[in-house]
Amino acid sequence: MSLADAAGSALWPYVALIVFGFLPSEIWRVLGVVLSRGLSDTSPILVWVRAVATALLAAVVAKLVLNPSGALAAVPLLARAGGIVVGAAAFFATGRNLVAGVLTGEALLIGAAWWVGQG
Amino acid sequence: MAGPSRPDRSWLWQGARAALSFPAWTVALALLGVGSLARDVGHPIGAAMMSTVLIWAGPAQVIFYAGLATGMAPAAIAVAVSLSSIRFLPMTMSLLPMLRRPGQGTGEQLLLAHFVAVTVWSETMRHLPDVPQAHRVPFYFGFAAACLLLSTVATGIGYHLMATLPLALAAGLLFLTPIFFTLSVTGGARRAADWLAIGLGFALQPVMLAGLGDGLDLLGVGLVGGTLAFLVGRLSEARG
Repeated sequence: MSLADAAGSALWPYVALIVFGFLPSEIWRVLGVVLSRGLSDTSPILVWVRAVATALLAAVVAKLVLNPSGALAAVPLLARAGGIVVGAAAFFATGRNLVAGVLTGEALLIGAAWWVGQG
Repeated sequence: MAGPSRPDRSWLWQGARAALSFPAWTVALALLGVGSLARDVGHPIGAAMMSTVLIWAGPAQVIFYAGLATGMAPAAIAVAVSLSSIRFLPMTMSLLPMLRRPGQGTGEQLLLAHFVAVTVWSETMRHLPDVPQAHRVPFYFGFAAACLLLSTVATGIGYHLMATLPLALAAGLLFLTPIFFTLSVTGGARRAADWLAIGLGFALQPVMLAGLGDGLDLLGVGLVGGTLAFLVGRLSEARG
């Protein structure tokens, strides 16, 4: 069955998911397996790779906060950034307690979103 | 083939318990929204749940379904999905050497890699140094499988739920990903280089978005910010 035939069938959502969602995403994990071959867990290359991953994840956060989609876009930037800062402050004030950090940041964000919705 | 040995089973369970103590719930809640996106484009609930099992990356799943909703060409969707998942390359590379065990085949490595996602990566990287080398793989599988299973159920629930949520709660669910990523990554930071990588990652993103456009920006930030942080870290360690 060609892709064009599949487009109209009940299988299409699954075919599309695998071809245009799963494979393009999974390729990086597979490449990670290949490239990690022969790297010892004390290799200095891994320190660099980890720094790249860390910077990349921080960039993902910045992107989600600065250019949000959906309902989050309706919340002012100040509340989005404030939620991150206040959540992180609560996290470190409680000895790196994830629950405290997430709940504090969420409380600020949801409170602000609710307040904006009222006004 | 014999099932997992008793100590393996107990470490599997310990991993699952560590996940269910909190992190798994945040990923699961964050993926509620993917279910409703899938329904919006008319896909069945089975495909929505399968997207969590197979793609296992919130941002990529959002791009996939939002792309379909806005009529993007499938090839363009694939490119956008792929660019958003580049983080898995350095994440997988840094995690797998910690999960080596004798006789490990390619199949097991690919399965370990498939479970890599921000929550699983940052939380297990934090826990693994305290887990004896021989028990790391079962601990990791337990942690990751608990996150994945709970999130798959949540995607199914979200398929029916999300349209009825008030805006403030919907915004709160979308906020789970950035807030959890932030805490999880900063929580694992130990050295000055880690903090520098985090700071540069935040600061460089708008610059790279302007310079490289939507897509390649994340890769640019990772390479430039990560390399700078690494070099500064090496210099300061050599001096101190």
